[in-house]
Amino acid sequence: MLDAKERRKLKDKARELREKIVEVTFTCGGAHIGGAFSQHEILVALYYKAMRIDPKRPAWEDRDRFILSKGHGGVGHAVILGDLGYYDPVLLKDFNKTGSPFGMHLDRLKVPGVDFSTGSLGHGLALGLGAAMGARQTGKDWRTYVVMSDGECAEGSVWEAAMAAANFKATNLMAFVDRNRLSLDGPTESLMRLDPLDKKFEAFGWRTLVIDGHDLDQILDAVEISRAETERPVMVIANTIKGKGVDFMEEKTAWHYGGLDEAMRDAALASILKS
Amino acid sequence: MEIVSQVHARNLVKLGENHPEVLVLTADLSESCETGAFRDAYRERFVTCGVSEQNMLSIAGGLAREGFIPCVHTFGVFLYRRALDQIAMSIAYPNLPVKMFGFLPGIMTPGGATHQAIEDVSVMRSLPNMTVLEVGDATETESVLELAISIRGPVYVRMLRGEIPRLFPASQPMLLDTPRVLADGTDVVVISSGICTEEALRATSALRAKGVSVGHAHVSTLKPFSPGVLAPLIAGARYGVITMENHTVVGGLGSIVAELMVEGGIHGKLVKLGLQDTFAHGASRSYLAREYRIDAMALVEEVQRLVGRPSLVEAQDLAAVRVEIALSSAKAEAM
Repeated sequence: MLDAKERRKLKDKARELREKIVEVTFTCGGAHIGGAFSQHEILVALYYKAMRIDPKRPAWEDRDRFILSKGHGGVGHAVILGDLGYYDPVLLKDFNKTGSPFGMHLDRLKVPGVDFSTGSLGHGLALGLGAAMGARQTGKDWRTYVVMSDGECAEGSVWEAAMAAANFKATNLMAFVDRNRLSLDGPTESLMRLDPLDKKFEAFGWRTLVIDGHDLDQILDAVEISRAETERPVMVIANTIKGKGVDFMEEKTAWHYGGLDEAMRDAALASILKS
Repeated sequence: MEIVSQVHARNLVKLGENHPEVLVLTADLSESCETGAFRDAYRERFVTCGVSEQNMLSIAGGLAREGFIPCVHTFGVFLYRRALDQIAMSIAYPNLPVKMFGFLPGIMTPGGATHQAIEDVSVMRSLPNMTVLEVGDATETESVLELAISIRGPVYVRMLRGEIPRLFPASQPMLLDTPRVLADGTDVVVISSGICTEEALRATSALRAKGVSVGHAHVSTLKPFSPGVLAPLIAGARYGVITMENHTVVGGLGSIVAELMVEGGIHGKLVKLGLQDTFAHGASRSYLAREYRIDAMALVEEVQRLVGRPSLVEAQDLAAVRVEIALSSAKAEAM
């Protein structure tokens, strides 16, 4: 549980980073802003509170690992890494432009702080499991965190990894599903029903928690539960809102990916300030 | 000819002694891929993933990222067909040192189209960062593991198992991007890979006995593929070049040699022996080799056609020299 001061600080940080995501989206012409906003508090809680990291040493052996399995959320991830000092955030003015190290989906060979290249859905959970097994093999105590999208859970490979992680009792692995209920073609439940998603992961052998994915306290409580778990990996179904924080984007499928003109940018920033 | 058995099984255990970073991963084909001995020797470094190849390949990516060298074992088809996206995006794109051993290349299994890896070279060599190797005898099967480990990035190996003939001296291990020139020749040059080399040796010996000057090279690295010794050999062939591969002719060795010739400005006729853009079916190796024309007789026929001298060597001639030719060829040409 956060104390009041910490909570205030993290909330302010989350707001400030949302504004930066808007700026980058405006500058680069278009980004996966809806999903960047739905995943946002999970990443903020992990990077600014929960994870053991050192931005000065991106390859530090004992750091916790992070995998954004929903690689299209890269714009949000890149803004956070820049803010933390993995690189000069000024570089983000060229996000997704020719010659920039920052593509739409982040490449670990080009962007410091990115542990795993992602973008093709359904890989992250198994990659994370591999990393977690590596930690166990070498007797290291660092932990691996994976953030998936909910649409991604239609991929069969997610369930292969889910089965395997429970089988191997990978308690040093923790995963989140950014459950914003909207994928590119529309509501997940009308495209390919996922509910009851928690029961499914539960049946596959995970300890499953359902939380408000924008509540920093709930996210960090879940991390604590995961750390204490000795039998099962922990899966968090984080109920979120696509486009969270910008009134005209919230719950809108169309904001899966989009660009902003000046008026929209100003309206978005104004909305974030009010939220 | 010496026949060696369970080469990879022993090799893995040996490698494990000095390489604690080597892990072996399998997907329900542990014994079929000769990993049982490693499992028994190093239980803690053996990961069985059940029948989930996509999962296995991404786990391997995760382990490789953390400093391990995962050696993934299954049948070739279940690697590049089932888990191509995982190979491409979890392994090749981040350039991670995962070593993939794909067993049962081409017609090495009677299992039919579902189990026959006939387009793996085409698919895997098109992936950036990927190295593609293929073993052709016991010596190469013995040395490919060390070679694969020594390469920094991902490696795909077309692997042999069980009883394997030794064509090349044990003292001459497989080297990266280094074809073995088995014979010089100025009429026709044969370039073979994998199990086709054994067949080619029978044919070239018989043809040479009839006065045809047949050059022959064996290729075990399909990517990278440098002109190296092959370009002058090919350029010196008066009537043409014949490639011979246990694989479709679309994108495999034949295509690679065609690319080399065109890019190098080497003019000449190229005949590609291999599966002619078709799936195969279940049958014995020898039956399929005859049916799909990747046996010694098919090579004889094509050489005769190129040089315009039909009926030089008959099937019974080949049958008569079958064992001896392979033996003497190995000694005369491969030492």
